[in-house]
Amino acid sequence: MSTTMLTLILLIVMLIAFILSSIKLKSPDISMVVAAVVLAIAGVIAVPELGSPIRYLVEGLFVNLDLAMLFIAASIFVNIYAYSGALSTVTRGIVSKVGNKWVLMSILGILMLLPGAITGAGSISIFVLGGLVDIVLTHLGVNQKKRTVFIFFFAILSAAAPPINLWTMLMCAQANMPYVGFTWLLLIPIIIAGAVCIVYVGWGAKPESKEAILAQLPEKTEGMTWWRILLPVVVIAALFVLAVYAPWNLPVLGLPLMFVISAIVALLCNPKKTTVKDYGEILDNTMEQVFPLVANVLSIGVLQSAMAATGVRGLLGSTFLGLPLILIYCLIVIVGPIMQGCFNYGVSVVLGGPLIFMFNTFGMDVTVICAALSLIFPMGDGLPPSRITGRLACEETKYKGSYTGFLKSALLPMLVLGVIAVIMIVTPATFDFLY
Amino acid sequence: MANTVKSSPSKRLISKIIILVVVLVIGAIAAAQFWQLRHFKEEVVVSDALTDVKWFSDYVPSLKGTWLDTPVFFFDSGVEGGTVFINGGPHPYEPASTMAAYLMMENIEVTKGKVIICPRSNYSGSTEGMLGDAYPMYFHVESEWGTSKFRIGDRYTHPLDQWPDPFVYVNYPSGQSQAYQDIRNLNRTYPGREDGTPTERAAYAVLEIIRQENVDLAIDMHEAEILYPVTSTYVAPATVLDREHFEETGEMVYVEPERNSLDVAMMAGMNLSGQFLMKSEASPSSLHGLSHREWADWSDAMTILMETPEIFIDKITGPRTEALMTEGKDEFLQKVTDAGLTYFPYDMEFGTPMWYRTGRHLTGALETLTWASMFYPDIAVEATWPTFLEMQELENQGIDSVGYFLKNPDDPANADNVYVIYKEPVGENMLKWSE
Repeated sequence: MSTTMLTLILLIVMLIAFILSSIKLKSPDISMVVAAVVLAIAGVIAVPELGSPIRYLVEGLFVNLDLAMLFIAASIFVNIYAYSGALSTVTRGIVSKVGNKWVLMSILGILMLLPGAITGAGSISIFVLGGLVDIVLTHLGVNQKKRTVFIFFFAILSAAAPPINLWTMLMCAQANMPYVGFTWLLLIPIIIAGAVCIVYVGWGAKPESKEAILAQLPEKTEGMTWWRILLPVVVIAALFVLAVYAPWNLPVLGLPLMFVISAIVALLCNPKKTTVKDYGEILDNTMEQVFPLVANVLSIGVLQSAMAATGVRGLLGSTFLGLPLILIYCLIVIVGPIMQGCFNYGVSVVLGGPLIFMFNTFGMDVTVICAALSLIFPMGDGLPPSRITGRLACEETKYKGSYTGFLKSALLPMLVLGVIAVIMIVTPATFDFLY
Repeated sequence: MANTVKSSPSKRLISKIIILVVVLVIGAIAAAQFWQLRHFKEEVVVSDALTDVKWFSDYVPSLKGTWLDTPVFFFDSGVEGGTVFINGGPHPYEPASTMAAYLMMENIEVTKGKVIICPRSNYSGSTEGMLGDAYPMYFHVESEWGTSKFRIGDRYTHPLDQWPDPFVYVNYPSGQSQAYQDIRNLNRTYPGREDGTPTERAAYAVLEIIRQENVDLAIDMHEAEILYPVTSTYVAPATVLDREHFEETGEMVYVEPERNSLDVAMMAGMNLSGQFLMKSEASPSSLHGLSHREWADWSDAMTILMETPEIFIDKITGPRTEALMTEGKDEFLQKVTDAGLTYFPYDMEFGTPMWYRTGRHLTGALETLTWASMFYPDIAVEATWPTFLEMQELENQGIDSVGYFLKNPDDPANADNVYVIYKEPVGENMLKWSE
């Protein structure tokens, strides 16, 4: 049997296992692990030379371990910061100072871009600001589905935004390109797509009066001052700046530790009387909140390993690369996000790197193309099986409607971003003035 | 009813215990395999031409006892001539690099000048697998006298030895931003720092070897995916950093080197065209941290990096078996080659077998020695070891040529020459039989 046929059968086996498991267990994370185990076993039966799959399945758990730790640490920081009353005070401040709906939404969009831009993970934007944005948008009269779209879309934009775009970084590493020159190439499309999203979400929304909104927001926490609000944020910002501009003068802390340090500062800045038991409860609740996401990123690593080992990854990647160029142009905006849903950041290596090499062969400007692909891939964070960012956005707004319905609502801004990216891929030379 | 209510929790408890036990058993099996890989010791029957063994820690003492320490073997003819340094295993997931170094060490004869060989320059990275990529842990080589086993490692330093990663890696001293995980990539951390991260210290040790041992020609052995334009290529600098100007002004200005390694590489490449494809490419001065750039910039040595084609790195392969690593026959890579996307005339009937990749490195290095000696007779080095053509001849006779040139470490006749490759001396002076 040819490798193509063999791996196609394995792919079908994996999909069946995933679908059946999803129906039975109602958990995409456990279903991914089940699909990975079934695929690995089927792989060994079909190709006995693969040997025991135990080692590489367990290795898969470590693929996204850093990301899982980042999610936990960032959530601890945000929950302690929110508990102190800082976020509600900031919300009240913004609402009382800014009356115009569009200006307010633009501020929220820019704020949401920041955490993801500096961590490379859009989920962090949702953790840090999703709650605040949801509250304000609610009072601006935006319906639940569109609030979810706003949070989701700005989260994926934040992951793509400079200075830290992990997809770009991984493709640069593979193609031996320095990680420089991407700031405006990424930022301009993000600003355009973000503006479209704001107009799309805010169109027709009828805001309540400022007084009515303020009346519904939590009261300002007693003792909360601006320095208590700012200090934890300043500390984490300072740690980021030092890591970039003085990297040889301090040890590598890593993002999780940076957030833990900031969480301790937030704790010290908390004006409320809080017992150790209270903090225990916050940590407990945080773990409850973040556990599904941690399970998700760990599970996708296991599935990724199984797909690599059995050649299913190779089937998907080589099939796409083997398409005529015109089809690659047409399908990249669909296939890229789908593979992001399967491989997470691994899509940069499986699909991104080979595409960069391919376009390089045609003498095209691969810096622009690399940026364009880095705008396309993050959209897959709303797609199954992982759908990390999409799921978090739904959780943040407590959206219980159909997930497909939510995705349909998000289609317009995603389409705008996708079209811009495809234009960049097709005519990269047009954009080279941006770097 | 009461029974049902009582039995449900106990059933759930039993289920949880079963799941826990299964997870623990799987974890224990994987842990045992990880431990074995971490502590597996390779044995090399080193040629009688050996004159000295040093360690990275002799050049950077803080590496002593760490997993980044590694042995370096000296073969000094005693006849005045040049000095060549050959670097094996900078990326342990490119195993033909270390294999070539071992074959050199076992068979080398030096009649003029000095040869220094480091077979595993990122020892730490050789002690773990590529996470999410399902690499086999080992590959085997058949000889007349039995089977030898060698590790396949990671591209990066093991996280147990260097963790966490920053969110962006900044190369020293260029200040160039690169992918975060490249902080653990030996071939992105040159010229290194004496008090930097463990990988930067190892990089600094390599530079210190080149500087302190007055190396004239330094060769770095790698493997590359066939979708990568620089596969099957010599990379050498046409210009080098004006160090004095940089130290005075901080500005990186590039000047003609005293001895031009690109000329040597181009002549070697042309001369090899009858045996195998070997392109030549100038090292870009805009990409930092790589050996072909930084070794030349921060020492007086000529530097050349060699890449052989290795399809495992291409990611989009079929099932990832040991045979795929040692034979390199893959339908998917044939498909993308047929679509004109690869940079190597890949033919899956032949594949990219281990002997072919190893032989290319052996002859590729010898050819640069020859041409360096012709261009610059004052630094001539005369050495011999198995060649590509000898290996090809053996393969044509159905003999495993890699195994043919390996000596039996269990043969008492080799007792004085069997060295154990580990992060620190094993037994007296690393000799297997000394105990």
